[in-house]
Amino acid sequence: MATRVTAVVVDDHPAVRAGVAYWLAAGDPPIDVVAEGEDVKAAWLGAGATADVVIFDLHLGGPAPAFGDLRRLAEAGRRVVVYSMRSDDDVALQCLELGALCYLTKAEGAGHLVEATRAAAQDRPYTPPSLAGALAGDRSETRPALSAREAEVLVEWFQSESKEFVAHRLGISASTVNSHLERIRVKYARIGREAPTKAALVARAIQDGLIGVDDL
Amino acid sequence: MRETAEDPADGAQGSGEATVSVTRPGSAGSRGPKGTFSPAVRMRLRRDPAGGGGAVAGSGFPGAAGPSAHPATPNAAAAPADPAIRLATAIRIVLLGVTAIIQPGLGLAPLLRHHPAYQPPVVADLAYGVLAGVTALCALWVLRRKPIPAAVAAGGAFVVLLASSAATAALPPDSFFREPHWSFGLVGWHLLVLLADRPPALLTALAAHTAASVTQFLLGGTPTRTELGDAAIVLFGVTVFQLAIAGLIRLLDRRAGEAAAAAAERERLATRAALAAQAGRDLRTGFAEQLGATLPLLAGLADGTVDPRTPDARARCALAAAQLRRLFAENDDVPDPLVHEVTACLDVAERRGVAVTLAVSGDVVEVPAEARRELTGTVLTALAAARTRARVSVLRTPELVRVAVVADGRAEPERQSRMEAQWRPE
Repeated sequence: MATRVTAVVVDDHPAVRAGVAYWLAAGDPPIDVVAEGEDVKAAWLGAGATADVVIFDLHLGGPAPAFGDLRRLAEAGRRVVVYSMRSDDDVALQCLELGALCYLTKAEGAGHLVEATRAAAQDRPYTPPSLAGALAGDRSETRPALSAREAEVLVEWFQSESKEFVAHRLGISASTVNSHLERIRVKYARIGREAPTKAALVARAIQDGLIGVDDL
Repeated sequence: MRETAEDPADGAQGSGEATVSVTRPGSAGSRGPKGTFSPAVRMRLRRDPAGGGGAVAGSGFPGAAGPSAHPATPNAAAAPADPAIRLATAIRIVLLGVTAIIQPGLGLAPLLRHHPAYQPPVVADLAYGVLAGVTALCALWVLRRKPIPAAVAAGGAFVVLLASSAATAALPPDSFFREPHWSFGLVGWHLLVLLADRPPALLTALAAHTAASVTQFLLGGTPTRTELGDAAIVLFGVTVFQLAIAGLIRLLDRRAGEAAAAAAERERLATRAALAAQAGRDLRTGFAEQLGATLPLLAGLADGTVDPRTPDARARCALAAAQLRRLFAENDDVPDPLVHEVTACLDVAERRGVAVTLAVSGDVVEVPAEARRELTGTVLTALAAARTRARVSVLRTPELVRVAVVADGRAEPERQSRMEAQWRPE
């Protein structure tokens, strides 16, 4: 890759910001944290305004999730990885609906954060196990129709946390597991409100040959 | 049903895997509350054939004796065994037999002997025929050991009284309460058969019968003192005898009613005792199951056969502690019992130094206690084997509840092992 991926970390805990910056810098290839701040201004001003990915704590100092800030970032076409301490299915689904490319809980480790950030920089979705659980348990009326295999992949991925495991259990390859997960996210990107990030995600999936233009 | 272990011996994954299926559709329905009551059902099935034959008798006459003796359930099947109830039923048949014998035995001869003297003879014949007919009608119910329906009893009593008056009216002169007056003594027996189940009505009918006869006797002309005396003796003899029989029936019925009530009570107590015994057994097995390895482990520690210094003993202690913790959690009143109990299982592993993460997906699904125990049992087993880290996930959809544990193993730290248990609602 020609240029290194850049990220801005928005979190109200300095320790978390430092930790995230360290994890990202330790990735291979490393991801540069160009700005950080305790509120969303960091993502709009200075170096943060042009960072590839916004790593965004949904609970900035208050009990209410900062859905408004997330919506404004997504509408501006910013690629957001929501990094939350809460593992609430509804909140996770709402973040996807608003245009977040990933929803990660803080219980999930460095590996997921680095992968999610890297995927987001390329307009690709990343679905960590907890998010897969939320999608598998989604019984809302607007949820997209998933195939039986896609539903299986979600459940297995949620409960085993290892793509090799999922692949082994379902008798498919690990890359097929990934494309199932991505296809599910494309389905989700095409429901609900429109956002530039969701459009970019779908466009990327077509580019990757994951779905055809005819599927739209 | 346990552990369809699917150990990938190919080794490519570097991971072992075990599946526990708790897929037992309707396990709540078939083994839950119903299981508790099954003894009662079994008991009933066992007793029904025994008491079935007599049940008809039991439901009949004693029922008429009082509402308390109306056990409509198979419980009454035990009732006919009681001699008092059998006697109450038998006495009706005896009464019917007495009536059927007395009519031709004591009534026919005078009717024939004095036939031309009746005024007119055909009325006496008709009355005789009607009375015989009523006896035959009563036999339909009495011989089948069923109570005579109220309408039949009332109509029969009316017809009998009418026939009695007619026969008395057709008597030759000066023969009241004498040999040609065959109907007087006989009608009382008919009334007894008809109204044995209804003592007040019986007394009223007997009184009406006697009063009517006496009235007709007095209206027939001024009787002499001798005639009065003779009439009084006959009246007294017949009436007192029939009243005595009525009293006897009443007494027997009351005894039968008490016996039926006592039998029903006995049955009820026996059922309750059986239920209580079953509940006690369930409780004990339940505790034994839930305490799992705790009791033998404690015994082992106490008598020194288990050495707490060995890793194996410590693992057993960890498992037992987790089981106890879960047992306590089971009785907590929380909105989400499954996750509450899973959390309890986690607690013990965390104290042991295992880093456990829990992921829950989906809305609360009501899982019966027994299924919860199976699901958390898997978590316990998996966590007991975990060495440093484990991830527990609970997935709930309306169709499926699945609990899975991914953990590193004690024996082979590099291998991730996975166990899962699932439960499907109806």
